[in-house]
Amino acid sequence: MMRTVEIIMVIIILATAFIVATFFAILPSPRQISSPNLRELSLTTLQVLDAKSELSEIVFKSTSDASWGDLETALSAALPPNVVYNLTVYDVLKGVDDVVRYNLVKTLSNSQSGVGASSESASLLVASSDVTFSVAPQKIPRTLYILNCSDANGWWITGYTAQNLAADLYDMLSPYFTTTIMVQSTSQLGSLLNGTKISGSPDESITNAIVLNTFGEAVPIPSSYVNTNSSNSYAAYTYELGKRTRWNNWTWVSIVGWPLYYVSNTARFSSDHNGWGIYGMVMVSSPGLTAFLRGLDGQSYSAGSSQTGSPGVVYFTSKARYYSNYYGVYPSQYQTSTRALSSSILSTYHLTIDNTYGYVFQQVGEWIAGATYNHRDPYPNGLIRGSLTAIGLTRIPDIRITVLALLMYYHPTLYRSEFTTSGTSRLVVLQLGLQGGG
Amino acid sequence: MAGPTIDHIMSATIFIAALLIFISLFSYNLQTAILYQRNRQVAMKANDLIDGILLNPGYPTNWGQSNVTPTSFGLQNHDVGGYVLSPFSLMRLRSSSGQPVYYPKTGKWYSNVTMGTGGYLLVPLGSVVNYTDALKLLGINGSYGFQLTITPILSVSITELRANPLRLQIAVNGPGSPLGNAFLKYNLVYANPGEGQYPSFKIYSGSARTDAAGVAILDFPTIDGSQYAYAMIANAYLGGLSGVGYSEHISAINRHVIPFVQSFEEGIILLAHSYDVHYFGPPVPALHYNATFLVLSADFEFHTVQLGNGTVTGKVNYGEGYPYGQVQIPTSDPGILVVTYRYGNNYGISLLPWGIGSLGVSLTFGDSPAGKDWVSTDVRQVVVAEMSYQARIAVWSLEGFQLWRPVWSW
Repeated sequence: MMRTVEIIMVIIILATAFIVATFFAILPSPRQISSPNLRELSLTTLQVLDAKSELSEIVFKSTSDASWGDLETALSAALPPNVVYNLTVYDVLKGVDDVVRYNLVKTLSNSQSGVGASSESASLLVASSDVTFSVAPQKIPRTLYILNCSDANGWWITGYTAQNLAADLYDMLSPYFTTTIMVQSTSQLGSLLNGTKISGSPDESITNAIVLNTFGEAVPIPSSYVNTNSSNSYAAYTYELGKRTRWNNWTWVSIVGWPLYYVSNTARFSSDHNGWGIYGMVMVSSPGLTAFLRGLDGQSYSAGSSQTGSPGVVYFTSKARYYSNYYGVYPSQYQTSTRALSSSILSTYHLTIDNTYGYVFQQVGEWIAGATYNHRDPYPNGLIRGSLTAIGLTRIPDIRITVLALLMYYHPTLYRSEFTTSGTSRLVVLQLGLQGGG
Repeated sequence: MAGPTIDHIMSATIFIAALLIFISLFSYNLQTAILYQRNRQVAMKANDLIDGILLNPGYPTNWGQSNVTPTSFGLQNHDVGGYVLSPFSLMRLRSSSGQPVYYPKTGKWYSNVTMGTGGYLLVPLGSVVNYTDALKLLGINGSYGFQLTITPILSVSITELRANPLRLQIAVNGPGSPLGNAFLKYNLVYANPGEGQYPSFKIYSGSARTDAAGVAILDFPTIDGSQYAYAMIANAYLGGLSGVGYSEHISAINRHVIPFVQSFEEGIILLAHSYDVHYFGPPVPALHYNATFLVLSADFEFHTVQLGNGTVTGKVNYGEGYPYGQVQIPTSDPGILVVTYRYGNNYGISLLPWGIGSLGVSLTFGDSPAGKDWVSTDVRQVVVAEMSYQARIAVWSLEGFQLWRPVWSW
């Protein structure tokens, strides 16, 4: 009998041990394991609501504005029915002691009893659209030459002069380049073509420069090149331009129309006109572009004709739209193109276009309305040697498209100031909980 | 002598029985704890996987706009970042919701993203990323299974209240509640007789707001909805949320133009006669079509884009000797290929969304979680082609585990 009593005592000890072990081994509730990640849901909800900056706009409006109701409706609609929320907006203020304070602006909630102890939250700092923050652009380590020759005329820049286009382009582009130099005369352009620097700036570099032709379909021609024209046209000059572009690895930029269709020098062509009554200008016609491309590609001189097309209305690529927003350059997203270059030049002259940064407009059939073409030497290594940015739109030129094309191609980073200026930022906190959650 | 022996036997029996009971009780507790740990691991894997898929563009980053097979799997829109997904990468996923479609004239099977009437998204199986590929690229082949569902947050449904003059009702709802006071921008594509046998179309655009119940009524006094064909595409916006829905009415019954995606990289779309895909029996009418591509601009207006390297108008018929039509659309931006077609005085419209998001298409990718032991789900709000979507993942373990439970336990 004694043994049985001992065993019963052992059972009691084991049962006690089991009960104590069960009491201390607390397992998490199944809901904690399988519930959705409320913090991520909260953050992504805020990001989606702010995808088009609508949240940023609403939280800066008066607390009695009707758009707060829209935000409440959007929140209720966006979240699953079993999720309760509490959205709180704080004004971020910076005191004289540099201490940041958060003042409550407004709270929205669909639960009167709170969101529960197991709720999660995420926050988003939004900035007022009315505030301009200082922006410092990354400098493109190249020299930008803007043709501003006083002794040349432009064509297809109706209503403007090349000189005032040059001034505007200087204002828009010079913050992005280490050095920006105005080429004030055709003789200065001649110096450049001969490899001679034209300014005293120690940062000026002819190699890898960008040469921006503001004269539309015309290009200034130095007097020294007037005499070197071939027997049939001034295409020999544009051929030289192509060769210099290749040798110096320039990016030659044409802002509108058919590139290099005329040459201009008001002193040397004072009695000639381009066929349309503009004196100081001689028509090269379509061979001008062909000769340039042949020079760019290292081919022998030839003045064959070139071709452009009229795809009509053309639209920005998604990347162009992105950079339009990024750099705050807002030309119309669709334009009319009547001088688009043919994609056939890509293979003929060993040109490529960067799929991401090269195309400004969507290609229409074989016609490329605006792009930066990179010439790649087939030998020895396929490296870029010279580029052409051609905006084949109809007149009158919108130089913002040229600016966008260049900024897209070089895509310098913009460094924006911190969003801590007093009263210009608001902190939005979205707290989510599950209905019935503890 | 007998008493102590009986005492020993009894005590030994009771002891062994008690020992077995307590071993099973302790073991049950331990196994339950292990099961919790395993489930926790699956839940964490779900969290990792959804972020890994949504916050990574994959490689190459533009694989959705090319014909290449990605070497890394991800759906993020590389140009934008964050939880913004590429509408094109999503288009290259093999849908697990619709039955594949076989098109004899190309000899190919096509993944079928289920859409409403008149909407088609058929992409060649040889060009899509299938579930097995994704498992391998994500490094979970054999260890976990998943299903990814991408659905619009807003449901924009369109109902015809009256045909002549046309009156439509647009209802906007979210998963939580209807969207009252939502701004609506609508575009009604109306097919009508054009030059010769080819149909023409006209777009009627306008805007409206939903009432407190999330409903708006639109009247088109000059349109007889019972004649010809129309497709209504409505975008809804409120408080940062945006959604799109469409509906159509056609008079061409059982005879449609069905667009098939042929090349993602070049944007080549084949236009097939529906008799080649779903045989409805004779007779066999040819269809004259007119194709155009619409892009939604930032101001919510549709713009037509000229199509290149392909016929904009044409004729398709079924059977041998009648080739399919072909158009090439620009691939850089999401949009909608609208094909109006006719035979006799019967008209129809086929819509192909170029990029998930253009028509508010839902997509289900992966295996079904039905019948799996324990499934963990996670959800994120995302943006696809400027439309608000919800991405939901269901993950389960494939390694399997069993619990030994005492016979008396429930």
